[in-house]
Amino acid sequence: MNAIEINQITKVFRANRNKLDITALNDFSLSVSKGEIFGLLGPNGAGKTTLIKILLGVVYPTTGSANLLSEPITNYKIKSRIGFLPENHKFPNYLTAEQTLKYFAKLSGVNHSNLNERIDELLALVKMSEWKKTKIKKYSKGMMQRLGLAQAMINEPELIFLDEPTDGVDPIGRKEIRDILIDLKERGTTIFLNSHLLSEVEMVSDRVAILNKGKLLKEGSVKELTTSEEIYEIETSNVLPNIYSIPEFSSYKITQENDHKLSINVGDDDELNFVIDQLRKHRVNIKTINVQKNSLEELFVSLIKDSRGKE
Amino acid sequence: MMKNVYILSLLTFREAFSRKIFIFFFGVSSFVLLLFSILFLTISPESFSDITTNSVKSDSFNLTIAHGIKLFITIPLFGGGLFISIFSVSNFIPLMIEKGSIDLLISKPVSRVQIILGKYFGGTAMVFVNIAYLIIGIWILIGLKFGDWDTSFLLTIFTITFAFALLYTLVILLGIVTKSSVISMIVTYLIFFIISPILASRETIFTFINSNVLKSISEFLYYIIPQTSELSTITSDLASGNRSLNYEPLITSALLMVIILTSAILIFRRKDY
Repeated sequence: MNAIEINQITKVFRANRNKLDITALNDFSLSVSKGEIFGLLGPNGAGKTTLIKILLGVVYPTTGSANLLSEPITNYKIKSRIGFLPENHKFPNYLTAEQTLKYFAKLSGVNHSNLNERIDELLALVKMSEWKKTKIKKYSKGMMQRLGLAQAMINEPELIFLDEPTDGVDPIGRKEIRDILIDLKERGTTIFLNSHLLSEVEMVSDRVAILNKGKLLKEGSVKELTTSEEIYEIETSNVLPNIYSIPEFSSYKITQENDHKLSINVGDDDELNFVIDQLRKHRVNIKTINVQKNSLEELFVSLIKDSRGKE
Repeated sequence: MMKNVYILSLLTFREAFSRKIFIFFFGVSSFVLLLFSILFLTISPESFSDITTNSVKSDSFNLTIAHGIKLFITIPLFGGGLFISIFSVSNFIPLMIEKGSIDLLISKPVSRVQIILGKYFGGTAMVFVNIAYLIIGIWILIGLKFGDWDTSFLLTIFTITFAFALLYTLVILLGIVTKSSVISMIVTYLIFFIISPILASRETIFTFINSNVLKSISEFLYYIIPQTSELSTITSDLASGNRSLNYEPLITSALLMVIILTSAILIFRRKDY
């Protein structure tokens, strides 16, 4: 069951005279399963925020369609089951945290009976209880972000969109926000995360998509995207012989990184076992064999560079 | 539908109240009421009668004084009160459609129509409360002092609020189109203080200018531009106790109000934010 289904959405911002139209999204399709944390990555201007805005009805798609929780995005009533934290959000600054949450709760159709308890619970969760009665105009950026997160959760949504949720938050606050997201996921909430902080996305997301100039470059689980299945790192306990002089290895792509470490590119398990046999034959004591992993950041940079190179 | 409009109106009402200018309006109204209370307590109707000739009956003179006070209140209230009110609400829409603010609002289960109606009713309610406070206060003071309990004076609450409601639709439309509170305010003031009075006296003007083209243009403009001068005349008539009113400006203004607000909603519904 999918929480989000996006079908071939294109968004073209029509420019004024003497300027070019901007294609923010180009035939973009994506599905997000219920209960997962999905991270959307991309450089500035990739179309990430436009995509969220289209899904929430803030911006209209030029072509294509999408469903949220199995309802078309044109049905605004579905938003009572959705939470949203926009980037650089602005709350009415004459309200307190409590009044803000009450106002957005009412707009989201939350009933009155347990609203005060819910507000106290959320303010405690985002560590804002002591600021409950303080007017928003006195808040720092980090506090605004925490309140924004509480606001996004006020209606106990099944699906939450978070646009740069840790923007302006200190490292401890970021960790707390990550913990909240993991807790929400455990309760079955689907989270759509949009962030520049790749390491954070990597830490919490089940799946990610990389977007550039409105086009989907790559999509998959974090594990799938960060694992280079064919490259193995072999660490030895004794000093390696000169690998490049062994004729059996001539058909492999081998890199000897130091006296105790080499990396090798093989096609399948048989080839890996063959390499191990050859190493053993040359009296190499193997200590560890690891599949080489790339960080999400490395993948991201290489994909964006590739896509720019193709233009 | 109505619940959302009510919640949004309430927030707009609160937003208006958070502006110092509405507190100022309220303070000025309270000061005027206090001033008249002191004046009425210290001066008796007889002392007014003393300065009249014997041929003028006391009751009739009291009524004249009462009407004078009512006009003294309603004429500046129509001009000054609406000036302050328009100034105060002119940034409601530009602030609302700012990035980070509009996204939050639209991401809630409310339609764009409800958002505009909420802003409209909330702002109008705030002006209504302020005007009602002053007019009802003066009406009670005059009633107690001069025994003039003519309810037609109370109807000025509605005509002044109606004039605001009409101009406010223009402020909303211009706010959506231009995203500028300054432009909304200037254009509205221009219509309120200059264009409408000129068009209201077009017949007098055209006794001096003999151009059929200009006549037709001014006649056309008269019906498509808020007739605030006519509403001002109706307000003054009601304050003077004259109930035989010309209803045509009320009807055309109501139609214009609906047209402008509908246009604002249609444009707002189609826009990307």
